[in-house]
Amino acid sequence: MLHIKCPHCGIRSQNEFSYGGDATVKRPELNKEVTDQEWDNFVYNRVSPRGKHLELWQHLSGCRQWIKVERDTATHEIFNTYKANEEIA
Amino acid sequence: MSSLSALENVHAKGQFGDSEGKDDKNLLSISETTNLLIVQIVQYKSSNSSLDNMQVDGLNLRDNPSLVNFNDNTRILWNGPRNWILVSKKKDILNEIEQKFNDNEFAITDISHSKAIIEIEGKEAKEVLKKGCPFNFGELEKNQSLNSTYNGMSVTIDMLNDDPDKYRIFGLRSFGESLYHSITDASLEFGYIAK
Repeated sequence: MLHIKCPHCGIRSQNEFSYGGDATVKRPELNKEVTDQEWDNFVYNRVSPRGKHLELWQHLSGCRQWIKVERDTATHEIFNTYKANEEIA
Repeated sequence: MSSLSALENVHAKGQFGDSEGKDDKNLLSISETTNLLIVQIVQYKSSNSSLDNMQVDGLNLRDNPSLVNFNDNTRILWNGPRNWILVSKKKDILNEIEQKFNDNEFAITDISHSKAIIEIEGKEAKEVLKKGCPFNFGELEKNQSLNSTYNGMSVTIDMLNDDPDKYRIFGLRSFGESLYHSITDASLEFGYIAK
């Protein structure tokens, strides 16, 4: 079982969280013309990297907040967690 | 019309589990708590109101994780950023809240009837909670609260006392009977008195 450090509540069990997908996907700008390929990439196409990956998780049974988690997909090591609106350098 | 408590059909008074030959004072005590006002207070992201001057029953809303602000009648539990659960014996507090908190900046929801509340008291109470909840109870102190799961059910746990340990467990009313079953099942090995 993973232990995830919620930026609001502290270290909690993975049981309290729900996975929310890739956190690096950016929605195309509003009112901008987008190609079908760009829309496909936004809605469906995902990479499946081995190694460090930025993910969205929701602390569903805790503070109910969405957070970003930097996790190694191979070892499950968690390097950092951020608030959802935090910019990551 | 009469109101039915959430655990009306399952909570039976008596002594259960491994209680033979044990002093009643050392047994766990489990009870259902009813007639509490429970209000969720959420400050909208767009709100710029300072919380410093906002008081309910003389208590401030504090944006500190796990902190419970309390007096004899009312407890305000931190439920998330800009999100609190107010629990009070004084039902008329709802009017005070609705008057003080502006509709455009706060969402006030009376959830008194959507919760099942179990109180568990005794020196083994923490062990009972550990059996179903992944939280590290070693770091929980008196007058702190947390949201977590108990056997997969979302719960809010408020630590009322530490001598002996006393916890108030809030679960969704719809899960109340399952939660009660889980808590009492975990208490059998210690023996408990249902009050």
